[in-house]
Amino acid sequence: MQEVQQIYPLLSLSQLNKFLTLLILFSAILSTKAQDCTYFIKGSISDKGTLLPLSDVNIFVKETSKGCYTDDKGLYSIYNLCKGEYHIVYSHIGCEPKQIHIDLKGDTVLNIDLAHTINTLGTIHLDDNKTGHVTQPTVSINKKTIENNLTKNLGGIIENQTGVSLLKNGSSIAKPIVHGLFGNRLTIINNGIVQGGQQWGKDHGPEIDPFSSNKITIIKGVNAISYGGGNLGSVIIMESNKISSDPHLHGHMNYAYETNGKGNNLNIQLEKGSEKLAWRVNGTLKQYGDKNTPDYFLKNTGIEEANFSIQLQKNWNEKLYTNFYASTFNTKLGVLRGSHIGNLTDLEEALTREVPFFTEEDFSRDISAPMQKVAHHLAKIDATYLLSDHQKLEFVIAAQQNNRREFDIRRGDRTDLPMLSLLQNTFSSDIRYISEPENTWAISIGNQNIITDNTNDPETKTSPLIPDYLSFKSGLFAIASKKKNALDINLGLRYDMEYQNIVAIERTVPRTIKRYTNNFHNISGVSSFKFNLKKNQSILFSSGLATRNPGINELFSKGVHHGVSAIEDGDVNLKTEKAFKNTLEYNWAPSSKFKLNALVYHQNFENYIFLKPQDEMKLTIRGAFPYFKYEQTDAYIYGFDFSSEIKIINTLQGVVRYSFLRGKDVSNNEPLISLPSNNLHGSIKYQVNRSFNVSQNIRAEELEISIDNKTVFKQTNLLDSQDYAPAPETYNLFGLKISSRLVLPKHYVNCYIRIENLFDVAYREYLNRHRYFADDIGRSITFGMNFKF
Amino acid sequence: MRTTSKFLTSIAAIALIFSSCEKDHSGHVHNDEEVMTTLTYTLTAENADTVALKFLDLDGEGGTEPTITGGTLQANTTYAGSFEILNETETPAEDVTLEVKAEEDEHQFFFENTGNVAIAYADTDSNGKPVGLKTTVTTGDVGSATITVTLRHEPNKLAEGVSDGDITNAGGATDISVTFPITVE
Repeated sequence: MQEVQQIYPLLSLSQLNKFLTLLILFSAILSTKAQDCTYFIKGSISDKGTLLPLSDVNIFVKETSKGCYTDDKGLYSIYNLCKGEYHIVYSHIGCEPKQIHIDLKGDTVLNIDLAHTINTLGTIHLDDNKTGHVTQPTVSINKKTIENNLTKNLGGIIENQTGVSLLKNGSSIAKPIVHGLFGNRLTIINNGIVQGGQQWGKDHGPEIDPFSSNKITIIKGVNAISYGGGNLGSVIIMESNKISSDPHLHGHMNYAYETNGKGNNLNIQLEKGSEKLAWRVNGTLKQYGDKNTPDYFLKNTGIEEANFSIQLQKNWNEKLYTNFYASTFNTKLGVLRGSHIGNLTDLEEALTREVPFFTEEDFSRDISAPMQKVAHHLAKIDATYLLSDHQKLEFVIAAQQNNRREFDIRRGDRTDLPMLSLLQNTFSSDIRYISEPENTWAISIGNQNIITDNTNDPETKTSPLIPDYLSFKSGLFAIASKKKNALDINLGLRYDMEYQNIVAIERTVPRTIKRYTNNFHNISGVSSFKFNLKKNQSILFSSGLATRNPGINELFSKGVHHGVSAIEDGDVNLKTEKAFKNTLEYNWAPSSKFKLNALVYHQNFENYIFLKPQDEMKLTIRGAFPYFKYEQTDAYIYGFDFSSEIKIINTLQGVVRYSFLRGKDVSNNEPLISLPSNNLHGSIKYQVNRSFNVSQNIRAEELEISIDNKTVFKQTNLLDSQDYAPAPETYNLFGLKISSRLVLPKHYVNCYIRIENLFDVAYREYLNRHRYFADDIGRSITFGMNFKF
Repeated sequence: MRTTSKFLTSIAAIALIFSSCEKDHSGHVHNDEEVMTTLTYTLTAENADTVALKFLDLDGEGGTEPTITGGTLQANTTYAGSFEILNETETPAEDVTLEVKAEEDEHQFFFENTGNVAIAYADTDSNGKPVGLKTTVTTGDVGSATITVTLRHEPNKLAEGVSDGDITNAGGATDISVTFPITVE
């Protein structure tokens, strides 16, 4: 956290008091109205990473609507301020804006450091209380970026980071992929809790409102030991920060309209700090109709979403801090009507069509089957107790409920009945002890327990794909880390057990029930070494072993997977999967004008569980179906992430990112499928450092123009026999964004216009399942405004 | 350390409680209402034996392989064909034909034949478009043939050629797709 480095009055306190008394007397004599407005705020602003001064930083005093910019030495000064409370906003190109609350009583020096928007570059070190010292490659996305992407879901917000991609099912369902892994292998931590829900499904997006988070961190690591959840290296962490101590009511109203899909997006957040009880509420509403490609509407691709969260925070005394958080996420997602198919012949027919079946001429907001209705609720309490200056206990308990209902086109009046209806209740606890003494080993140990109760609702009147089950997971971890100037060391060990009790429905006629009980034991370990070299260079080497027991879907899936039109069978004899991953990261930041980050990784799998297409087709009354079985193989994935940031001049910034990834199934000697394509991303941003008067009372400041370009290369690491259709060609998309801050008397509004797919290119994405049926989204223009108070 | 050991003991205790836990289940088995296990295409003619072409997959989609029974038709004969679709996972078996009949404007059978067999629609829905629950099958000279029966749910019956039995522009989802081997004698 960047904080005010120094606040000290130029006058001593007693002097100030005398001065004020005199002043009050003096002004009382002269006039009862006039207020003495002769104070100033001065200071210098530096880059938090390099500690070098930052020029062209915009400083804006909300109460007076006055502003200025820092000079070449990073210095600024604002004169003629009155006694009283002020909110000052510091913002700079490529930096996270910072708001400071100050009760001005005299001339004041405020020196600020601004953190770089690390979404462009990997930070090497994440000072996260929960993990002690995390020394694994990470990228973070800050609040500003989250707010400016109100039209997107979690996947859409993180997708342009190196090493991150999306597995999509149309435009509204997106599952994050990090270094080639997703679903059961990628854990999402929402407010300190492993996100529950049906994470296994390729067409199940994470049910999280990203706008209630202040920061999203992606650990592209070898093993996030302290989080558990079965991750095989990478973790996505959503955090909402502490409510600021500012005693005033603050908040924002963020609204965006998107032309493609005629979508309305609204997010409102309110918060108030207090000694007694600080609170924050957050609400998001979204409504979209059918999206369109450059040539036609995508029928039934609308979205309706309503989310709400509340956070209460209390400092009981100097030692005990508690936090309550509850959220509800509710969504209704349309799935492209033309993607509903009955069998392989239907799919083959759909593949030959230029425009999908059921395409209509007119835009519609109707959402009907096929569709998904998902609700996810969460409540948690966490507490931090300081045992001493460098020791603390952290405790979290949480309950989650996930209700997923998927509707399909059905015979009879059954279209109103879901085809899949799962209710999952999750209870979890997390306790950890953290000791961080200076100059020696920091230690953190802890335990996590997760109970999952998963039930199929018989309302579907079909045989379920996933059986009812109860699972209990318990894990213990220990991490030791040491931070020296030249070398940071991090060592960790984790043990997990999982008990599963499954009620499976057998395929006999009449149907019967069979119970299964499984016990699994998993061991994980990690070691990382970071060498801090001269001239702001560092090298980070991490290696980690992770094990993951087979999930319920991998063991017990049985029958037709609707939506993907395949017969999928689990295998109850699957063994635990082992992964060994090594990462090597190089970071170089010689000045605030240039930064570079390069990361290579290799992950080796033993008993990698995957859905293997079988040679035979399954003949059914509906015709032939492709038949898949969960099998195990030995495999590896390797890749390379590169990003660099250059400030050509102080107001012109360029960013380049490149991700490369390959995977191979060693046992079967063929490429590993469903891996992201290589991609190249570049952007240039220009900030105009002057104000424009829009009207008498409205001034435009901080005008920024940015152009970005993304090239996604054709996935060539694929055999023809491994897919229904060849991988789509390379595509190239341009984007344009213009943003500015409109200063009104006493308030300001950040406005932006963003155009995605600027040239309305028709393209298909390899990892979007809808590529079999339709083109991807065409040009879309978003008008957004963010009003803060 | 004492805290740690206490901690470990309590975890072990929790683990023990749960490993003796079972998923509660009322013992009820999900009714698979929508499954079609049996398709019978009965062909009758005045001067020939009745032929029943049958597709049978008692455990539904997946699992064990279905059995397909073809038939022998008399050459140069006109048969009346009718379909019966059953769900035999339920007892008594559910007659799915009635469901198709009730939604006849949302369903249409299509036929693709090889050899000397021709099939024509002998029924219409409320909009005067063909359904195919009732058909007329005409055989030609002696030889072997196949009949592929396709039932589409929500086809576009107004699309070009669809009401003439051409599946090309029909769209919709396939509910049934079965091929019967035929001998014409």
